[in-house]
Parts: sequence; C-alpha cells; structure tokens
Amino acid sequence: MEDEEVLAELLQRKLIERGYEVTVAPNGVRGMDNLRETKPDLVLLDIIMPEKGGFEVMEEMNKSEETNMQKVPVIIISNSGQPVEIDRALAMGVRDYLIKAKFDPAEVIEKVDKQFGIDSAQNVKS
Amino acid sequence: MPEETILEKPERKVNNGSPDLALLEEMSRTSKLLVRRDLELRRVNEELDEKIKLLENDEIRLKEMNDILEIRLKARTRQLTETVNDLDRQVKERTEKIEASRKALSSALDDLKREKTAADEEREKTLAIISNFSDGLLVFDNQDVLGLINPEAERLLHIQGIDMVGRAVPFLAQVPELCAIFTTIGADMPEVSRKELELNANLVLEISVVIIRRGGQQQGKFVILHNITREKTIEKLKSEFVSIAANQLRTPLTSIKWILTSLLGGDFGELNPEQKDYLAKTNQSNERMIRLVDDLLNLSRIEEGRYIQKKERFSLEELIDKNIENIRFKLKNKRVDISFEDVQRPVEVLADKEKINLVVQNLIENAANYSREDGRIVVGLSKDEEKGETTFRVQDNGIGIPEDQKDRIFTKFFRAQNALRAQTVGSGLGLFINKNIVESHGGRIWFESELDKGTTFFFTIPLNKP
Repeated sequence: MEDEEVLAELLQRKLIERGYEVTVAPNGVRGMDNLRETKPDLVLLDIIMPEKGGFEVMEEMNKSEETNMQKVPVIIISNSGQPVEIDRALAMGVRDYLIKAKFDPAEVIEKVDKQFGIDSAQNVKS
Repeated sequence: MPEETILEKPERKVNNGSPDLALLEEMSRTSKLLVRRDLELRRVNEELDEKIKLLENDEIRLKEMNDILEIRLKARTRQLTETVNDLDRQVKERTEKIEASRKALSSALDDLKREKTAADEEREKTLAIISNFSDGLLVFDNQDVLGLINPEAERLLHIQGIDMVGRAVPFLAQVPELCAIFTTIGADMPEVSRKELELNANLVLEISVVIIRRGGQQQGKFVILHNITREKTIEKLKSEFVSIAANQLRTPLTSIKWILTSLLGGDFGELNPEQKDYLAKTNQSNERMIRLVDDLLNLSRIEEGRYIQKKERFSLEELIDKNIENIRFKLKNKRVDISFEDVQRPVEVLADKEKINLVVQNLIENAANYSREDGRIVVGLSKDEEKGETTFRVQDNGIGIPEDQKDRIFTKFFRAQNALRAQTVGSGLGLFINKNIVESHGGRIWFESELDKGTTFFFTIPLNKP
C-alpha cells in the first residue's frame, strides 16, 4: 500500500521482475480489500496515506477475525522516521521499518527477500 | 574751746582786785599768765599744728585710700565690665551656637525629610515595579513566610494575595493553586533557575527561585513566575511547521532518489557513460537535499524535546571504519588522504547507534569538506578505562576556524565565513545537532583550531562498562 504513485510503480516493477506477484493499493481502504481478496504472504505498508493510514490498517489486521490476516508479516516503508512511530510499529509486530529516503528500491527488495529466507544474490522465483 | 577759758579768766580778775599792786601783781601774774598762756597757746598751736599735720596726713592717707579705692573701683568696674562683656560675648556665642545647632538640626531634619521622601519614593517605585512587573513575583522572608505577591502572580495562579500574605510555605503548599509550584521547586525552595511547569494547556510557566542576599546574609527569597505560554506555542508551531515542511519535502526527494537509483542500476536499460555520470551527480545532489531535510527534522525534534535515544551496545571502531570507507571515494577525487590511527580496540559503547553514527559521519564529512587538495585527515579513537569514557577525534589540515567565530561554532544555522566560501552547501545544523547528541549521552564535544592550519574535533561518550 503506497499512495506515492512513482514509488509504488517502481517497487512493483522491481518486485515483479524478481518474480513476486504484486498488488498495489493507493490507500488503506483499497489495501484492506486487496488483503481479503488476494491473501498475500507479505504486506509492504506506507504509514501516511489518504483515507486509511498504515497504523489503522495494522490495527484492523490485528483485530481481524481471519487468523491468516493477523499472521501476515508487515514491512513498513515510511517517509517518517520518527522514533515514536518506529517504536509504535514495532510494538504492533511489524517485521521491519524502512525509511524511504534512506533506502533505494534494490535495498527494499533485499529486505523482502530476507523475509522469505532468500539470499538476494541468487535469482529466485516465488 | 580751751582758748576761751584761758582768755576770759584774767579779765574777770582785773575787775575784782586792788588797782596798783594788785594791778601789778595782777599784771605780773597776768603777764606770767600770758606768757604761760602764750606758751600754752604755742603748745596748743603746736599741738594743733601737729594735729593739723596729722589731719593732713590723715587727709593724705584718706586721699591715698580714696585713690586706691578709686583705682580698685575702676579696676573692679573694668573687671565687671569685662565680665559683663565676656558674658555678653558668651551669651552671643552661645546664641550663635544654638542658632547654628538649630539650623543644623533643621537642615538635618530637612535632610531626613528629604531622605524619607526619597526612601518613600524608592519604596513606591519598587512597589510599583513589583506590582507592574510582567512576571509573577512572590517575596518570602527568611522564615519562608510570604511577604508580598504581585498582581501578575495573583492573576496567573488565580489566587487572592490577601489570603496568602503572612502564611508560611507548609500552609501555602496545601493551596491547590500553589501546590504544583512547590512540587516543581521543592518545599524548601532551593535556588532554581527556569524550571518549566505546564499548569494547564493554556499556561506554561518558567519558575525561578532567587535567594536575596545582603552583605552575605540571606534576607529572603523571590519566586519568579515567567509566563512562557506564548513562546512555547510559537516554538511548537515552528517545530510543527519545520516537521511538516520537512516531511513534505521528503516525499518528492524520495521519489527522485528511487527513480535515479533505478535508472543508475540499469532497471530501464543500459545508460551511456555520460548519462550515467550526470545521473550520478544528480543523485549526489539529491542525497545532499535529503541530508538537509533530515537535519531540519532532527532540529525540530531536538527543539520539541522528542529526540529520544534508543541505546544499544555496539562497536564504535566498526562504525567509524564504515564511515571512513564511505567517504574514501569522495576524498580520492579531492586527493585527500584519510587514515584511522591509535585505535585501542575494541571500543564498545552503549549508545544510540544511529545518532552516534550521525555525529561521526558529520565530523568526518566536515573534515573532508573543509580540507584542501592533497590534504590529510587523521581519525583517532582512544579509551580511558579509569574515566570510563572513549574519545573520538578527527584532525584535518584544512582551512581552520577563524578566532572570532570560534564561540559560535556550535550554534544552529551558524557557518563560519571561510567555510561559506569553501563550501556553499551546508545547513549550519550539523555541529548543533552533534552537540545535542553527544551531550544527551553524557559526553563532551570540543575542538582545537588554527586558521589556515587545520582543525581537530573531539567528542567523548561513556564506555559501556560490563
């Protein structure tokens, strides 16, 4: 879930190239719909988004009846790197917290690969 | 009288005797008598003479006495006159003296009056100052009894001074409106400077306690309540603005960064060397922008007091190694040599890794930015087990810091004149942020510098003791 079109597009392109299946949502509401429909293995989540922000999405996921949804790992990719936000996100059980300006897409892919136990040096298919 | 007796007797005898013999006899007797008488007379005369003489003498004596008396009288009179004059003079002198004393007394009284008026005026003035003072003031005596409270303090605390004056601290500390103040400064009111107290959302006070001393003797205490609500609001708005602005700037900068790195990584096809070079330069500029925005965000966090530390154990020398590696490429272009010397490995610290990294990165980058071509940078790290601290240093032989600008180096937005000439880019925030980070870790940061010779920056942080 990412409202910044360029970032979403770039990341999607790289992830698909790497063999992942990717669904993009420009806000939390659409994102929650996607979550229910596609039942993904990993969520890349922005914090500041229109309609429904990242924290609300996580709260909804954690409260969800569907056990699957509670278990889906989340990586935050946020613009804000405020310590309070990082702490809050970690307390909610996120796997990683990436500050956009400090990472480039290739590094984000590395983090995603790591979640699936994949060594980024190798080419893999999902 | 005797003369009469002598003269009368013969005449009577003449008339009563016989004429011849008797007469003769009478005559002889008479003559004898006469002679005798004559003798007698003479004697009497002599006697008289003598008596006269005596009288004369007496007279002379009297005269002399008189003279003496007169002289004495005169002398006495003179004496008296003198005495009188003297008395007169004395009286006059006394009168003058009394007059002078009276005048002096009256002028002293006048002085006193004037002084009293001046003192009254002074008192009025002081009271006026205290009453109209823009800060709230509470004046306590030596027994911590409230002697005076000014209208601003009454207004700020919503209390009536008349109910409080004359009361001692234990009573006052029970008053709901005052209790927060005594909790902040302590009931024994030690000297405190600018302690912040947020009484409610609309009132933030800065409280100071000043001990009044006269001639080394404690006379009482002032409690000063400075209303900083407005400053706090402005500060908060400013911080919020910086925070929002920086966050808004970050989004497009991130997009640019991601596109540029993707392009450079060949995600959209191979680039020719020229394209690659320009894109790399653009990316560098963008990274600089990101750093500036980060600095602004850090600044607003420091000012909001939200610069929270997340301490972890890590190896400081490894962190420095990484930073040196990162900058080596940039330095090669400038032909500046960098080395890491005198390292007493291992140096493990318990600190906020990200922030310490920011300090090391910033100091090394500063050394690089203000080095001249063919310069030399030496980084060092030593530890003092006894003091329980480690000292980082980075020495360059660059442009140095001008003497007159040395004491402003750590203030925010400050950049030295020669630094501005050497390097136009820079927020002037790095060292301000560094100082905040180092000091919040209980360390110190300082430098030694000579213009045109170079600068060495040092900082210490406590070692992680097992």
